[in-house]
Amino acid sequence: MDITFEKIKGDSVAYKTAMIIFALFAIAGAVSTWIVIQKGLWITGMNNRVPWGLQIVMAVYYIGLSAGSLVISGLYGVFGKQEYKPFARIAVWIAMLFLIAGLLSILTDQGRMDRVFVQPFVHFNLQSMFSINPILYSGHILICIIYLWALFTERKKLTTVIATLAFGWAFCVHSGTGAIFGFGARMLYESPLLPASFVAAAMASGTALMILLIVGLFKITKRCLDDRLVLWLGQFLAVCILVVVYFLFIENAYRAYVVELRQAAMYYLFGGLHSIFFWGGLIFLGLVVPMFILFRKKTGQSIKWIVIASGMVVFGILFERYVIVLPGLTYPQEILPGMHITQSMIQEGIAAYNISLAEILQALGVFGVVGFLFLWGLRFFKLLPTEAIIYDQIGLIKRIEYLRQKGIHIEDKKPRALAAR
Amino acid sequence: MDRRDFMKLAGGTILVISSGTYAFQFLTGSIRSATGEGIDPNAVRWGMVIDLTKCQEGCTACLDACRQENNVALHGDPKLDVHWIRKVKAESMIGNEVQEKSILLLCNHCDKPPCAQVCPVQATYRRHDGIVIVDHHRCIGCRYCMIACPYNARQFNLKDNEHWANKERPKRSHGVAEACTLCAHRLDVGKPPACVEACQNVGAGAIMVGNLNDANSEVSQIISRYATKRLREELGTEPKVHYVGL
Repeated sequence: MDITFEKIKGDSVAYKTAMIIFALFAIAGAVSTWIVIQKGLWITGMNNRVPWGLQIVMAVYYIGLSAGSLVISGLYGVFGKQEYKPFARIAVWIAMLFLIAGLLSILTDQGRMDRVFVQPFVHFNLQSMFSINPILYSGHILICIIYLWALFTERKKLTTVIATLAFGWAFCVHSGTGAIFGFGARMLYESPLLPASFVAAAMASGTALMILLIVGLFKITKRCLDDRLVLWLGQFLAVCILVVVYFLFIENAYRAYVVELRQAAMYYLFGGLHSIFFWGGLIFLGLVVPMFILFRKKTGQSIKWIVIASGMVVFGILFERYVIVLPGLTYPQEILPGMHITQSMIQEGIAAYNISLAEILQALGVFGVVGFLFLWGLRFFKLLPTEAIIYDQIGLIKRIEYLRQKGIHIEDKKPRALAAR
Repeated sequence: MDRRDFMKLAGGTILVISSGTYAFQFLTGSIRSATGEGIDPNAVRWGMVIDLTKCQEGCTACLDACRQENNVALHGDPKLDVHWIRKVKAESMIGNEVQEKSILLLCNHCDKPPCAQVCPVQATYRRHDGIVIVDHHRCIGCRYCMIACPYNARQFNLKDNEHWANKERPKRSHGVAEACTLCAHRLDVGKPPACVEACQNVGAGAIMVGNLNDANSEVSQIISRYATKRLREELGTEPKVHYVGL
């Protein structure tokens, strides 16, 4: 069954309002970034003890969403699930945009943004994860472009090849991002498990994002969507969440068990605002409640509940990124083992980090850029399918009902011919 | 094969081999130069000894000298102030008695510097004489080195230094990470680092700098004679600041 893709008209009030809001976000972010460039990073919440803040959290989060949504496109490209072909284009498009968002977040976080465009490409240091990752990121964007082109031109063989490459690459991209922290010398960073758990969290958040986008877009643009496609994604999401929970458990159990790390583990689990984010935001809102919704038969089969669960996961994984990046920095390094520093010129001991307005605006700005480009893409590229159904008896009956609701009568030959197939 | 084909083949081969060799050298060379592998063992290797038993409580001569010499910024706000060398008070339990010590903390100029390993642009590198230094014209301000440094010795210039006292040294503009340079510019012309000089001037002589590769140098003699300690030796970073009486 051939699927037709089309552009949206983009003349509705909702579309234009959304475009304007995203553009305003982007402008606010640009202004904030300009002020940071002029004045220096002191106007952000970061300091010499906590050198990374919200922008790095957002970068990791966006890159995760990107890698995750690319996996959804792989359902068609790699595993040949024809029924997911309608979402392939939009998944790759969003994967590309969120990777750009991640790069923008990293860029706007640098002390000298002007040098980022030259120095990393002239002076490589292959021992640094920060040197290896740009290769992975730019490769990811390049692959996404070729992937999109293959999908647009309906090149089946190329699609399979590039989709497989993209699938593997997405794993590398996110493992690489996890390695920035996992291979670091901080007590709460250092963990060979981190790259793997990063990938799991990326899959969960990416799948959840795709569910939200698919259901939302199909509803707003009044397209026919087969519920079963979303139900399966819901089940897939539930499995992803299980894997995330497993990794989180192993990691924290290890830290709490090993004497050397126990104090750090206690700080992580019960030591301040980040602990509230961990238990309330990530564990409860982001993982336990969605898992309950998705595994429960009644709610797990309802599109409305799956969408709610997905929203919670997308939100919860943001907390996960926060509790990876920040507690590792605020927890002090042991410079003088066996000694307790009582007086110093800088913050020793547990450091403080407060998110500043400048950083929030920058983060919103990057989100605005992505949202704007996404909507713009819907209007200028054939990204959305006319419909997304499984072409069997149930699917086709659904389609006929849907068309009838729209006022198109089934006397129309096409649906009948299809039903006959 | 005619002459033209032969020339093409030969030219192509030379091009491939030379560019391949260059790429190989570029990549592997970068790794070696960043972290200082393959360095001549007979060359100078600067190291420092801090004798805490001689360090006087309340004295800030070395801190002030460092600030003056290197234009290290002091904004009057603890969040923004930059300290290339800092003095901390630390307590430890000896038996059931609390013992308090004043300790100087600064860049340890590690032989295997984690900061240089993670720098994506090789702005941080280990000089051939063992000094770990930042090229502040190249640093992009990613702050990965601050994450990697186990001694919290790296400091980021969050704000421009408004008091540019020593015009012979850089102003320390915002957006780059820096740390103690062991006053490489002074060592290069045969002068001791500013902190060492200041410490001698107040009559304490608690800080010494010398060639660790020379068995007869003052620092080597102290290290061989006394039980000196280095910070977090177990991390394998090979720090070159040795403490007496820690």
